Amino acid sequence: MSETAIEIHDLTMAYREKPVLWDIDVEIPKGSLCAVVGPNGAGKSTLLGCVLGTHQPANGWIKIFDVPSDRSDELIGFVPQRESVDWDFPVQVLDVVMMGTYRRLGWFRWPGKAQRDWAMECLSAVGMADLHSRQIGELSGGQQQRVFIARALAQDAKIILMDEPFAGVDAATEETIRTVLADLKKDDRTVVIVHHDLQTIEDYFDHVLLLNLRLVAAGPTKTTFTRENLLRTYGGQLTLLDEAAEAVRRIRSGRSIRKSGDR
Amino acid sequence: MQPNTLVVLLGTTTLGLCCGLVGSLLLLRKRALLADALAHSTLPGIVLGFLIAGSQSYWALGLGALLTTLLAAVLVSRLPILTRIRQDSATASILGIFFGAGIALLSIAQRSGPGAFSAGLDHFLLGQAAGMLQSEAITLTLSATVVSFLMILLHKELLVSCFDSSFGKGIGMSMGRVDLLVMLILAITIVISLPAVGVVLTAALIVIPPATARFWTDRFNRLLTISGLLGAVAGAAGTLLSSLRVDLPTGPVIVICAATLFSVSLIVAPHKGLLGKRLRWIQRKQRREMQRILIFLHENLLSGNDFVARERILAGSLNASSSALRLCTLSGYTEMAGTHIRLTTEGIRRAERSISARNRWIQWLDSEAEIDRNLIDLDEEDIEKLLDRKSMEIPPLDKGANL
Repeated sequence: MSETAIEIHDLTMAYREKPVLWDIDVEIPKGSLCAVVGPNGAGKSTLLGCVLGTHQPANGWIKIFDVPSDRSDELIGFVPQRESVDWDFPVQVLDVVMMGTYRRLGWFRWPGKAQRDWAMECLSAVGMADLHSRQIGELSGGQQQRVFIARALAQDAKIILMDEPFAGVDAATEETIRTVLADLKKDDRTVVIVHHDLQTIEDYFDHVLLLNLRLVAAGPTKTTFTRENLLRTYGGQLTLLDEAAEAVRRIRSGRSIRKSGDR
Repeated sequence: MQPNTLVVLLGTTTLGLCCGLVGSLLLLRKRALLADALAHSTLPGIVLGFLIAGSQSYWALGLGALLTTLLAAVLVSRLPILTRIRQDSATASILGIFFGAGIALLSIAQRSGPGAFSAGLDHFLLGQAAGMLQSEAITLTLSATVVSFLMILLHKELLVSCFDSSFGKGIGMSMGRVDLLVMLILAITIVISLPAVGVVLTAALIVIPPATARFWTDRFNRLLTISGLLGAVAGAAGTLLSSLRVDLPTGPVIVICAATLFSVSLIVAPHKGLLGKRLRWIQRKQRREMQRILIFLHENLLSGNDFVARERILAGSLNASSSALRLCTLSGYTEMAGTHIRLTTEGIRRAERSISARNRWIQWLDSEAEIDRNLIDLDEEDIEKLLDRKSMEIPPLDKGANL
């Protein structure tokens, strides 16, 4: 059995009195491409926040490569939701990527040529080197996503968390991001992605984590992404049931049709 | 110039620098209103300091001001977390409550205290730099130096905390400590600027320079630098102007100088200024129009009409602007022959180049580009440069001729 990258045990997370995650118990193996799926308000982003360390869980613990997360030196890359970034902020592409080197630099030290070169290398890896001096707001949606992926690469992060990178991007961009994801997987990095589009789960991800306040199911997509589990995840939410039902139909028909323009 | 003016000048210049630097952090955190709230909440502290110490000693007033400002800062940051009050309401309420209390205390102090001692207190409302002592100027300079130094040292921590603080937390930077530091620097800056600029207008000196600097740059470090320099210039110019007439309070004059810099930048800044934007828009429009004319003439040329009537260009389906046509003639692309127009050899070359670039561009966009909204509308030079850089293997189109 492969190594475990992220191990979450008995995790409960609450804002004030209201629990948003309850009793989560899950292991995500190293090198997997894992989707976090669930209805709105299921706590998907919060779960990422807990792994990243920006949210303090009320109970339970998280281990990163067998080390408790608060003592772990392992760097975790994070690609934020697109709406949460201030795209008008006066930073250039290269500045954002260089942030990935800050942790290793420590307090007070300025990034130098070595950091610049490394950041450029990471930008090249996502095919963005020639846009390094653009202000981040001047990029297209897919390019913006790739800047933040490059920042995660600059951290040399073994684990990369992404909050809905596919939300509101066009088909070409989606393809680009997929290519980058495939490269990340080839490097044996663990990628955890909050994902909304149930149609594409089977094609894109080898692991899936179904979440609705509690953990409904987690494991390899083939065995976990089933009709029963989906209905348990989306149970009461009628608006989403249609989408779930369609995904289920596809599972039943046993074909993995590549997503085309019919969406 | 009075000998004291030089001292005052040094003080207000470094003060402007300090305000500009700190202000850029607030601007980037979208918390500009905070500066106003904190500045107003110094007033009760000043008066209390005076009432307790019984004199207008710089340190007593300063300490009082610092304490109430910090109290206000704590309230503004905690209230939205502890209650359901939103951030902007909390900021506005604190501003009102503290300033109101300050004004009430001020009138009490002026009535009860010995008139001669309390007389100068209302100078803190609008600032009166002319009376600045050498020791005050030195305090100002020292504080400004410390602030600038801290900001240079910590610039990457500050950048992360302004841009993406959850990323900062995620990589183990202590964002709480950085926030605390920013708050402290802000409170100190406000307090030291009171004698010169006054309670009411300190916020303006903190907010205007970074807003001005934003017109000139898209980079964090440069924004800080430019904002600091603009603040320094405003401080110096304001002091000099107000020293010409003793009855002019310094604060408003400094703020007017800062506002002048802002207005000038708003208009003339090359990239984001109104003038530059307008000019670029007109230029681009004109070039598109010229392109349309040249391509139209070229089509006619291919179907055998060397000469095209001027009216057919300016009216009909093309309906081009006459200024663009004039520009075509001036640039040597077209020549007039009576009421008719025809392409020169250079014009033909230009038109063919436009057509070929456009065709290659469309082909490239169709084949692989993810649509980048900055890229769709380009001139032929840009297209050629871009396609070359992407080392696109699109064969040069000879079918451009039969378009």
